[in-house]
Amino acid sequence: MKKKRNRNSAQGVWIFGDYRNYFQDRVTLQLISKGRDLAQTLETEVAVLVLGEGIHQYAMEYVAHGADVIIAVNDSRLKEYQVETYTTVVAEIVESYQPEILLGGATSFGRELFPRLAKRLNTGLSADCVALEIDPDSGLLIQTTPAFGGEMLADVVTPNHRPQMATVHPGIFKERPHDSSILGRILYPEIDIRPDERIQLVRSRPHRTGKTNLEGADIVVAGGRGMGPKEEFDMLYELAELLGGEVGATRPAIRAGWADEERLLGQTGKTVKPKLLLSLGTSGALQYTAGIQGAETIIAVNRDPNAPIFKMADLALEGDARSIIAALLEELRKRL
Amino acid sequence: MKDTESLISAHHNYLVNNVLTPGFILGDPSSKDTFYLLADVVLPGESTPRFSARLFDNRGCFLLELDWNRIRRNSGRCPYQSLPGGFRILYDSGDPLLSVRTESFPNGYLTHIQGKLYDQNAKVRMETSYAGIRVYGEAQLSIQVPYQPK
Amino acid sequence: MNIAVCIKQVPDVPSIRIDKQRMTIIREGVESIINPLDCVALEAAVDLRDKEGGFVTVLSMGPPQSEEALREALAAGADQAILLTDPNFAGADTLATSHVLARAISKLEPFPDLVLCGSQTIDSDTGHVAPQIAQELDLPQVCGVNEVHVEKDFFVVKRVSDRFLDTIRISMPAVLAVSSELCVPRHIPFGHLEKAFSDCNIIRWGMNDLELNPEEVGLKGSATWVARLHTPPPKRKGEILSGSPQILAGHLVKKLEAMGIIDEEEKKP
Repeated sequence: MKKKRNRNSAQGVWIFGDYRNYFQDRVTLQLISKGRDLAQTLETEVAVLVLGEGIHQYAMEYVAHGADVIIAVNDSRLKEYQVETYTTVVAEIVESYQPEILLGGATSFGRELFPRLAKRLNTGLSADCVALEIDPDSGLLIQTTPAFGGEMLADVVTPNHRPQMATVHPGIFKERPHDSSILGRILYPEIDIRPDERIQLVRSRPHRTGKTNLEGADIVVAGGRGMGPKEEFDMLYELAELLGGEVGATRPAIRAGWADEERLLGQTGKTVKPKLLLSLGTSGALQYTAGIQGAETIIAVNRDPNAPIFKMADLALEGDARSIIAALLEELRKRL
Repeated sequence: MKDTESLISAHHNYLVNNVLTPGFILGDPSSKDTFYLLADVVLPGESTPRFSARLFDNRGCFLLELDWNRIRRNSGRCPYQSLPGGFRILYDSGDPLLSVRTESFPNGYLTHIQGKLYDQNAKVRMETSYAGIRVYGEAQLSIQVPYQPK
Repeated sequence: MNIAVCIKQVPDVPSIRIDKQRMTIIREGVESIINPLDCVALEAAVDLRDKEGGFVTVLSMGPPQSEEALREALAAGADQAILLTDPNFAGADTLATSHVLARAISKLEPFPDLVLCGSQTIDSDTGHVAPQIAQELDLPQVCGVNEVHVEKDFFVVKRVSDRFLDTIRISMPAVLAVSSELCVPRHIPFGHLEKAFSDCNIIRWGMNDLELNPEEVGLKGSATWVARLHTPPPKRKGEILSGSPQILAGHLVKKLEAMGIIDEEEKKP
């Protein structure tokens, strides 16, 4: 990656390496994969920015998953994820190297860092994208984000400001497999780090260790209002176990206390791309379907033949989800 | 903005001058009687680093030769000790000469090195710094394939 | 303690319908409300003011009808309301919006000790405005706040971020973006609403009051443009099967077998 002084010759698809909660959270790897596609179209390279202390293993993971270049700042003053200090450090590096595109996962930290960073760089940012492509005519990055609660999609572009920035929802893109044979390059910029004294992390502790790995699951069993009350909904945990999958839920099911918040699927919850998604007793509200539309195969069960969920199902069953699942469990218990 | 550039392996790296590198060479391994340290590339499937060297003390007197982590020609009568994940070579007096420790990650390895090494002219070629080692003099800081003698 | 609260008037998103022919939202019959998380921010501000003393100013950038939202905010307990309105402000992305709001906040006398915002809006949902206001005003920020304690010249706040529960000390002045767990917005007595709509004064600031240039605001001051709106691609259509639970369960079993998720039952000899 060469450093460019000229505003018109930005190059490089950069990704902010968010490694908190790695190996469970893998959005950076997903973005490296998509970044490779974008970089190929633009005839440039994919670089991952890694800030922190003891970041060597993450740098190596990112190379193994497809990064051409790592830009690393290994410093104890970056040990904690802190928006103000990170904004300054990343902005100085970006201003020096002038990448064309800068992507980040829409993790909590990413969603706090990227807007501040975009403002500092005086450039545009789109949030929580569900698709990214290079427009063949203009060469611009087309950033597709849900609009109006997910009812529509907006294709956003940043024509005159650089870098073009976007955060991407975890689970949208698929990571490339780990490859130990890859050799990449690593750059260590010389940069002054001045931590922001106005803000101090007093204490940070894991908040409810994740019992679920919905984003990585091959099979998801999702329950909605039609699977209640709780005793009936609980069947889904057994079903998921028998099938080797994870249980997800819609907002109404979570509000009713049938599942924990971490099982929420949809716009304000998790996005999943499993091989199979069973959507049981869900009507198909847009805030929910936004999180499941990437599933390879969707089987939906609902009492109402007009439920919107049926429009996206490969197999649609009209009936009471609870009785059908009870019958299914009976059959499965016999065999397994 | 100035920067330092190196290669990086997905599988195994050494930490030198605070920089990751798949392999590095100090001095000239093909020489017959001068200082060198070869930290060779570790290929996928292997998990231990490969060190070869010709080492001298702080007066420029020959100490030992190392060949793929094994001591040969031990004029300095330097003890060699195996350690978890690495090894250590001491001076006859018991003072540390060179120590090597490989950290295992779920998908890769990182070898940390410590020690103060002199060449045949009693010049410092490597010394421990707060985050690893610093090296001086003739060196190739990044090699990408295992070393082949000419 | 002087507090500035940023609110936005938004359409009641769950009741929006789209005119798919014209790719626009159908506005008739859709209520305008204060963005729900902004109500939480406002409630927190009023609460803090009641405990610590001080003054709550609520600001909103929007068309003239946003005044309704500001009157509601006054009825909920804000001391002063300022509408930032100007034809030049239209079409703004968050870069331009945050610029206007930051400029307005910087003109408050005295400068606030705290700026409160909702974490995100139900219509655009980016969550960008609070961090961008913080960056422009060079203030520290914390997003997703669910607890706030006031000390002499700093706050101690809590929030959940990427499955970590953080306790953070942040000096004044600061920007805090609030989560729904911080507090529950009060029910506004009808009498307060009446009073707010009949008696209260809404201050209006435009380009000149804020000393802004046309290139920094609205569409011209934006870095992102919406190139097009489109509907998500048509999803697959499966045939809808019906029957008894056992029959339907049978269909499920066949599908699971076909996908290799369960083994086919061995045929009996």
